[in-house]
Amino acid sequence: MRSVPEELVTTAGIEAVPAVRLDHVTKKFGDFTAVDDISLEVGENRFFALLGPSGCGKTTTLRIIGGFEEPTAGVVYLHGDDVTGLKPYRRPVNTVFQSYALFPHLTVWENVAFGLRRRRFDDAEIRRRVAEMLELVQLTGRENQKPGQLSGGQQQRVALARALINHPRVLLLDEPLGALDLKLRKEMQIELKRIQQEVGITFIHVTHDQEEAMTMADTIAVMNHGRIERLGSPTEIYEDPKTEFTASFLGASNLMEVQVVDGSAGRVALPGGDELRVPAGRLPAGERKAKVGVRPEKIRLVEPGSAVQGNTVTGRVVDASFIGVSTHYLVKTAPGQEMAVTVQNLEDHRFRPGDDVVCVWNPEHTFVVR
Amino acid sequence: MTTTAAVTGRRRWVPYLLMAPGGLWLLIFYFVPIARLVEVSLQSGIFPRYRFTWEVGNYLRLFTDFLPHLQRSLLYGLGATLIGLLIAYPLAYGIAFRGGRYKNLLLVLLLMPFLMPFLLRTLSWRIILADNGPVVEALRTVGLLGADGRLLATGVAVVAGITYNFLPFTTLPIYVSLEKIDRSLIEAANDLYASPVVAFWKVTFPLSMPGVVAGSLLTGIPAIGDYVNAELLGTPEQYMLGNVIQSRFLRVLDYPSAAALSFSLMLAILLILIPYIRATGTEDLVA
Repeated sequence: MRSVPEELVTTAGIEAVPAVRLDHVTKKFGDFTAVDDISLEVGENRFFALLGPSGCGKTTTLRIIGGFEEPTAGVVYLHGDDVTGLKPYRRPVNTVFQSYALFPHLTVWENVAFGLRRRRFDDAEIRRRVAEMLELVQLTGRENQKPGQLSGGQQQRVALARALINHPRVLLLDEPLGALDLKLRKEMQIELKRIQQEVGITFIHVTHDQEEAMTMADTIAVMNHGRIERLGSPTEIYEDPKTEFTASFLGASNLMEVQVVDGSAGRVALPGGDELRVPAGRLPAGERKAKVGVRPEKIRLVEPGSAVQGNTVTGRVVDASFIGVSTHYLVKTAPGQEMAVTVQNLEDHRFRPGDDVVCVWNPEHTFVVR
Repeated sequence: MTTTAAVTGRRRWVPYLLMAPGGLWLLIFYFVPIARLVEVSLQSGIFPRYRFTWEVGNYLRLFTDFLPHLQRSLLYGLGATLIGLLIAYPLAYGIAFRGGRYKNLLLVLLLMPFLMPFLLRTLSWRIILADNGPVVEALRTVGLLGADGRLLATGVAVVAGITYNFLPFTTLPIYVSLEKIDRSLIEAANDLYASPVVAFWKVTFPLSMPGVVAGSLLTGIPAIGDYVNAELLGTPEQYMLGNVIQSRFLRVLDYPSAAALSFSLMLAILLILIPYIRATGTEDLVA
């Protein structure tokens, strides 16, 4: 996984004009606010994912960039140019639609050539570029078929070719893999990423699938209720989700209510009195209470009385399920909370329900959420 | 083994059994009458004694006596179909794309006049197009009609009547085919640099062709054979082949030539239809 630290994103922003910039964009449908005052920058050549549950405003945000929806307030910039109010057919962006939206009455070749024909390229140039593009998406030989005669994966690639052939400055993808089965989706994730690196165009990809977003994107914006909850590289937002929503939407988390003992030193206490450590700087200043979390796979289980370092919470195994690559435990902790723990099967010893255990993890893996 | 064979045998017959009622219906009420029509068309004699004599002359009368009527049938029928399409398409488009939540109400309004009997509707056009009626007076005022110009009892009135009477049959199929066009296809066209006008001609219109073809057939076929509009809104000068057939059958009681004219009209319509359907190639549009 390629991850780009936030500092680099910002530096790139200074050198070059961002491919897309949203400035306080809001979109209301009647009383419903679909997009709530979003400001966002996407740098050149990025694979950017808008991730969130349905109804979070991710598709509306994409449609605003594409020109299919006019923002109620705010400004949209493409490469520094204000394009707010510009119709879709005048914007240098192209879209891969959720249902592909291939023209059923046209052949694969005509579908792919559609954009170039509208822009009145000469025939030889169109023929050359369509052939080139069909080769890129591995559809050579299908020129004269109608979309209805193709499989879902092939239709998906036609939709991609039809958009990419126009050399858009930004390519918008609206849940492009949603209709494919799991195996094909995995293949297309790698394929899409390969194509993005090959053509060097900014991709903005809308998805509700966290794994898909993390596999492909170098920057992810997690959206909820029309706002951006968390923005960063996949590793950053996974390791330090910062909000409760992001922590639970992206992977699994064990969240705990704690009292702040010493904020600047990163010391907090569980209701039972056990102390935990949190990386300094993650705790909000001046707060008495906080919510901290740790990922199930960061926790080790040891027998009580073992010499260990790090954050520890005692408890009793409630449930253990062996699933091959790992074993999932459910541990009821002393403060009366249930913790999910995922342990790799490196040792023969496995705990059974009823065993007393200690959950141990590196304080660095403790995050604080709002 | 025998049971399997019996079951397979029965299975093979099921589709034919299911088709039987429809097939029988067609046989009794379609093929038999047509065969009878052809038989009568080749008879000769004087009412009520007609005998089958291979009288091909009945067909020749179309060209010797009734050619103008055939021409008018085609001119009025096809003209009304064409005008009907020009009115129906924007109407259907408006309801399908701009109707919003009033779609169903608008469709009901479109069909409302047709709750009234056909004859009454046609007769009311005599009032609308009357010599001192509102339309004629308006046209006289703006100078489109001379001081003694009239609409009633002209071809214009007949075409107007036919157009009006068949409008829902043109509109509804077009509406249905427009309604089922995936709106994201139009967005996709816009996304690929097609302005709304270009997107209409490259995407919306081709995809609505099945509706246009169905609508024009539903209108065109009965319109060419129509006689009520010519009878009520025209004069014998405007009579179509349908009027001749009607009077030959019911007044003159000259069954052979009425049958020959009926059959000729059917053939004429078929001859127009085949190249039309070929040219529009609707079978390709079904994705």
